[in-house]
Amino acid sequence: MKRISFKWSTLAILGLALFGCEKDNNGGPDNEQELITTVALKFVGGGQTLTFTAEDKDGDGGQAPIIQPIALKANTDYALTVTFLDASKAPSLDLTVEVKKESNDHLVCFVATGAMVSPQPQDKDAAGNTLGLESTLKTGAVGSGTLRITLKHMPTKSSPSACGTGETDAEATFNVTVQ
Amino acid sequence: MLKALNQNMKRVIFLLLGIFILNHAWPTIAQAQQCNLSLKGQVLNADTGLPMAYAGIVIKETQQGVESDEHGHYQLINLCPGEYTLVCSHIGCDHAEQKLRLRSSSVLDISLKENAVTLQNVVVTGTVGKKAGTQTTSELSGTALDAGKGLGLGESLKRLSGVSSLNTGATISKPIIQGMHSNRILIFNNGVRLEGQQWGSEHAPEVDPFNSERITVVKGAGSVRYGSDALGGIILMEPKPMRHNPGIGGELHLQSFTNGRSGIASGMLEGKLAKLPLSGRIQGTLKRAGNLQTPNYYLNNTGAAESNFSWSAKYQPEQWVLETFYSHFYTQLGILSDSHIGNLTDLNNAIERGRPLQDGSFSYDLGRPLQRILHETFRVKIAHSISEKDKLTFQASRQFNRRQEYDAHRRYNVLPKNLDEPNIAFEITTWAAELNWDHRLGRNWQGAMGTTAQKQINTVDRGALIPGFDNFDAGMYWTERHFKVGNPWEFEFGARYDIRHLHIGEQGTTVIDQNRNFNNWSASLGLLYAFNDVLKLRFNSGSAWRSPLVNELFSSGVHHGSASYEQGNPDLQPERGFNNSLTLEGVHTQKWSFALTAYLNLVNNYIYLQPRAAPELTIRGAFPAFDYQQADARIMGLDWTADYVLYKNLHLESKISLINGWNRELHDFLIYMPPFRFDQGLKLNFNGQKHPDHPSFVRVGVLAVMRQQQAPATDYATPPPGYVRVDAEFFHTFEWGKQHLELGISVFNLLNTSYREYLNRFRYFTAEPGRNLGFRLKVPFNFSRK
Repeated sequence: MKRISFKWSTLAILGLALFGCEKDNNGGPDNEQELITTVALKFVGGGQTLTFTAEDKDGDGGQAPIIQPIALKANTDYALTVTFLDASKAPSLDLTVEVKKESNDHLVCFVATGAMVSPQPQDKDAAGNTLGLESTLKTGAVGSGTLRITLKHMPTKSSPSACGTGETDAEATFNVTVQ
Repeated sequence: MLKALNQNMKRVIFLLLGIFILNHAWPTIAQAQQCNLSLKGQVLNADTGLPMAYAGIVIKETQQGVESDEHGHYQLINLCPGEYTLVCSHIGCDHAEQKLRLRSSSVLDISLKENAVTLQNVVVTGTVGKKAGTQTTSELSGTALDAGKGLGLGESLKRLSGVSSLNTGATISKPIIQGMHSNRILIFNNGVRLEGQQWGSEHAPEVDPFNSERITVVKGAGSVRYGSDALGGIILMEPKPMRHNPGIGGELHLQSFTNGRSGIASGMLEGKLAKLPLSGRIQGTLKRAGNLQTPNYYLNNTGAAESNFSWSAKYQPEQWVLETFYSHFYTQLGILSDSHIGNLTDLNNAIERGRPLQDGSFSYDLGRPLQRILHETFRVKIAHSISEKDKLTFQASRQFNRRQEYDAHRRYNVLPKNLDEPNIAFEITTWAAELNWDHRLGRNWQGAMGTTAQKQINTVDRGALIPGFDNFDAGMYWTERHFKVGNPWEFEFGARYDIRHLHIGEQGTTVIDQNRNFNNWSASLGLLYAFNDVLKLRFNSGSAWRSPLVNELFSSGVHHGSASYEQGNPDLQPERGFNNSLTLEGVHTQKWSFALTAYLNLVNNYIYLQPRAAPELTIRGAFPAFDYQQADARIMGLDWTADYVLYKNLHLESKISLINGWNRELHDFLIYMPPFRFDQGLKLNFNGQKHPDHPSFVRVGVLAVMRQQQAPATDYATPPPGYVRVDAEFFHTFEWGKQHLELGISVFNLLNTSYREYLNRFRYFTAEPGRNLGFRLKVPFNFSRK
């Protein structure tokens, strides 16, 4: 009988050990969707300031991104500034600050087609390599085309095809009309 | 094409069989010698040390058999000198077999453990304790298991025919049994069903192979005892039985591999008290590895760090066994930096390069992308032998699993302290309880009946790839086996009923709050026919089902490693598998052994990922999109394994596996089916007289893998070409003073061949690792009072 009670008390202690050591889940779930929701372009030239955005506020899946068409004047010099935002929060966060802070690890790439001309980056990262947040372009004749903007993370900037390396953080293809 | 290949294969196999049979007439037992030896002793319960009454002891070769008396004594007389296989049948030993060499009349006490026999006072040749039953199993133990332990479970199991692995880079490997992996396979670690985040194909099993002495793979859906959802099979990892003799002992394993410059140390210390029936054990493993190397370049960020420990204790007063076990597994796995891509364009760039951009260099540093996984298991088991014919076992366990994934990308977040936090974090806690009654009905029926219950809570701390969920499972099972010593037929059947309740909570900031209820039957039937002592035929047929998992129902998001967008399907129904297999196996003592298995698995409502026609557009660009869908599928194949003595101690080892997976609705192949593998090895044993348990050997193996011709056209890139790889191994057992030592040297990819494996998800980005020289030393020690 004594033996049995020893057994059961051992069992009870083990039972406590078994069910009593659950980990605390500190602070509740943090399920925020990631990163960039908006690629914003600001063209300054021809006496005008034009802004266009590509935006996907609900993250991956769900609604497809809304990309505004770009309209530029022909034969005009423009200064282009690219910014990246997290607009899922209010007020929206300007993530360009982070890109600048880690400028060596980032690169903005442009691919232009049709009547669009490719912007030429004017700014440098901390190591003196191309960054691409600030660029200039001079539009040509009237027509239509596209402009693809890609933010690369950890690209190999020394590579001749630097835009083919690294991981894409943001990418948007805008339709462009030059008029 | 396949049909023709199958037929050719069959022809080849029957031809080989024919050659074996012609060369070696069925064995005859020498009768001319003096046959006046006797073997007697007592049958003891290893757990309690008490005599075991009415245990059947049969010599397999001569069919001479006796039953132990009420005090456990037995006696076999008129035996010839020779080598015999002793078979024991009893509730406690479950048809265990043991080989022995009889030279003179001997007294032999047999200690029966669960599913294993230990013999004392005789020369024992071989340590194989064959599992009973009609099921097709393969087993990895001893030297073969030790050699692979440092490389992880997935890599170790590849030594078995019909088992391959699905890899994500060089560091993550998970087993595939007969074409099925992840949640279609159950892994039992020391009796506890492993419950981690097994759904992901880049989620490796969270177990320390150094904790196991024997790994058994049960192929097919036949085993209802372990769960309803094992459509592919079951992996049982068993530790060394707890120490039987009073004293202290242990083992030290030291391993090192040149590729990755890894070092692994694993130690185990165990003891048993003389006065109390109490034994205990502590065990731990440390592993550190750096960047791996292919023949032409290093793979940046492919290191790993692992630290595991476990303890167990066993208290066994008469008729009772009380056991506890705790294990703590923690691993950090680096993932090839170049595999981390942003979108479809990046993926195409990476595939076009086909290799990392830079040559890389060696480093032990672990950077992003990184996985950190913690797995804790705690188990209590109480067993009570009510009588010699009945045993009750109760087991309760708790598991905690935390998986943290760190993308190459840090989060854009204004708070710098968050920069080191994971992008994805899941925590899953599982409580399980099980009550089992092992019983023997009359002389020829043996079975088990029981019930299981499990409660699981999964919380998602970061990321919205899958929702948080909790579930409750309960099941009841009953199995019976009929056997009779001397009767060539043996059969078994089993049935099981399970219910599952799944509640899905929040996904990201979206509240789903849905319930799913599933319940259904599983059943199995097994037949075994022994033509004679040499040849056996096994037939197994079973049906199992698996309810859709939360990732299949609700996953929504981008998998960075594969640059794919996966969309769950909330309307999925459970899968139902029908598994049939036929195995012919033969064992000719000292000459040859073989097993040939043909299997046909039909899975209705097989859940798979179907590529979507249009890519999913996100703010990071386009991703190839996949939807979870269901269709009726068929997986069939052949597994062949054989060992043939060419000359004296020179063995030819042969393993072949052939598999075909087919989507019966889309009329297309299934993805990630292992290609045709042809593995042949020459093994020269020596020093066998001195160390019959672990003879020294030299082995050279040639593995040929064909290009997977039977792949769906929807893959990103065509399957890589076939390859031939040469591996070599040297193993030596020796004495250093009084210390027994086991030394192994292995060379993986001896010729430093550059090749790609179809079943590696990173084959788009890189070749497989190159030559790898491994060293291992095992130091068993023992301080027992004589």
